[in-house]
Amino acid sequence: MAITTTIRPPAEALLSTRELRVEPIVVTENLWKLYHAGKVEVPALRGVNFRVLPGEFVSVMGPSGCGKSSLLYVIGGLAQASRGHVLVDGNDLAAMSDAERTKLRRHKIGFVFQRFNLLPTLDARGNIAIAQHIYGDGFDPHRFEVITKMLGLTERLKHRPSEMSGGEQQRVAIARAIVNEPKIILADEPTGNLDTQNSEIVLSMLSQLNKELGQTIIMITHNPEAAAYSGRVVHMRDGVIVDGVPAD
Amino acid sequence: MMRRLVVNNVLHRPIRTIVSVIAVGVEVALVILIVGLTSGLLQETAKRIEGIGADIMLQPPSASVFLAFSGAHMPIKIADKLRELRYVQAVAPVLLQFSSSGGVDIIYGIDPKSFRDVSSGFVFLEGHDMREPNDILLDDWAAKAKHATVDSTFRVLDHDFHVAGIVEHGKGARMFVPLSTLQDLSGSRDKASLFFIKCTRPDHTQAVMDEMRPIFPGYEIRPLKDFLSLMTASNLPGLDAFITSMIALAVSIGFLVILLSMYTTVIERTRDIGVLKSIGASKGYIIRALLGESALICVIGIAVGIAMSYAGRAAFLSSFPTLSILITPDWIVRSALIALAGGLLGASYPAWLASRKDAIEALSYD
Repeated sequence: MAITTTIRPPAEALLSTRELRVEPIVVTENLWKLYHAGKVEVPALRGVNFRVLPGEFVSVMGPSGCGKSSLLYVIGGLAQASRGHVLVDGNDLAAMSDAERTKLRRHKIGFVFQRFNLLPTLDARGNIAIAQHIYGDGFDPHRFEVITKMLGLTERLKHRPSEMSGGEQQRVAIARAIVNEPKIILADEPTGNLDTQNSEIVLSMLSQLNKELGQTIIMITHNPEAAAYSGRVVHMRDGVIVDGVPAD
Repeated sequence: MMRRLVVNNVLHRPIRTIVSVIAVGVEVALVILIVGLTSGLLQETAKRIEGIGADIMLQPPSASVFLAFSGAHMPIKIADKLRELRYVQAVAPVLLQFSSSGGVDIIYGIDPKSFRDVSSGFVFLEGHDMREPNDILLDDWAAKAKHATVDSTFRVLDHDFHVAGIVEHGKGARMFVPLSTLQDLSGSRDKASLFFIKCTRPDHTQAVMDEMRPIFPGYEIRPLKDFLSLMTASNLPGLDAFITSMIALAVSIGFLVILLSMYTTVIERTRDIGVLKSIGASKGYIIRALLGESALICVIGIAVGIAMSYAGRAAFLSSFPTLSILITPDWIVRSALIALAGGLLGASYPAWLASRKDAIEALSYD
């Protein structure tokens, strides 16, 4: 399924003054996600149509329970769509098996969570290296060094999550998410558990990744100040996107 | 990286790991000690009987190779008939009596002269041979276990014996009393439980046995050089089943403890499993990580179990010197494999559960 869209380029790294014809890296078409509460079907997504171009930094905002996280999990392949299509880098997740979606997630997606979700038994080095290990190419010391230096983690690598501040933990989580050079970063309220100062650090880093490396980022947030770091803000309500969809 | 994850996870909950390791250790030690005790006793008994030095043993029809289980008696006059056979050098009638007072013992009632002719005599560590009806000989292990000394009174079979001598172990039984005394005490006058036969040369054994068979039809005629191979658990009714049951019980302990331990691990690490899934870990990766943990616990447990086996044997032998526990490399390897297989089997269900966990539910687990 080839979907193309004409836009004004959102990321400066990709910009030129002329309009570009770029294939979206994420496309959802009439995307439905239904959860089951006993015998009752609860729709979290009700036919979402959403597109993200390579190099975009998109924030998804909306009230609790509007389906933001569900959208992120379906795009990330953690949840299966109930109906509709989800294309990630040209791969239709709705038609893929769990194993295929796992493989796609391993190679093309990096997650950053609100609660950091580091493995408590591993130190910072281990938490980052495990992503490389799962990726399958083994430990790449050069890439590891570049990432940890960029995120200011060089001095904290031997510390376990319990020995680090929230900001440091989130930076480790970002390092883990980007160490394999995924095409898309999916960030679920990455500053939700951080104070203002650490929130600014984390958001600056995400913004830097987007601007300097052209990293595609989709971020869920409640915070308009956080959303301001992104190039585009999409609002959701009751399982649908109510604005912010780029024009075809 | 996987190794690091596994090791760190195992060390994360030390008490749970220690309990699991001990459970596997107990499993391994139980298997090694039960098999070791059984085979040790059988082998030691066989060696003692071989150590008599006879060539042939004659027992009543259907008598067991396990002498303590042979209740039937034969007329002692059979000895005279045996002595008439060609190539027979000496015949020693023996009456066996099972005693369970102060331990499990088999007492040999012997005629000192004929037993000496067959066995080349005892090696006396202390004292002298039996001279009086109430004399008893103990081997060194029995004397140590029962704290008996020469010239002391030793009560067995509800009878006070005089310890005439302490002999080197390895001549059939651990206690020897005069044949006639034991016949009186057991109400088996002029009876014997078995006859040991010494041939003029060992290579005459087959000829003597061939000559004996038509004279003693149905009797158990066994060459003693094969005795060791006959003393196996499979030849003792129920023993194999007992060993198998005990091994199954031991394995069940290890299996259940690992199952429970890994199950609680999976519950506790639900969020971590979600994290691994979110970074692209396959089901196989998650299963391997959990089986790796179980395997590591098993390997440590096996090492602990082997150490426990040797410590247990030392403790047993210090309390019961007449026991023999044979720890063989063969059974160490087998018990290790049994424990490893049980541990992996025990961990496989929790690992399977973990691999099938819904990533989103796992990530939101508190």
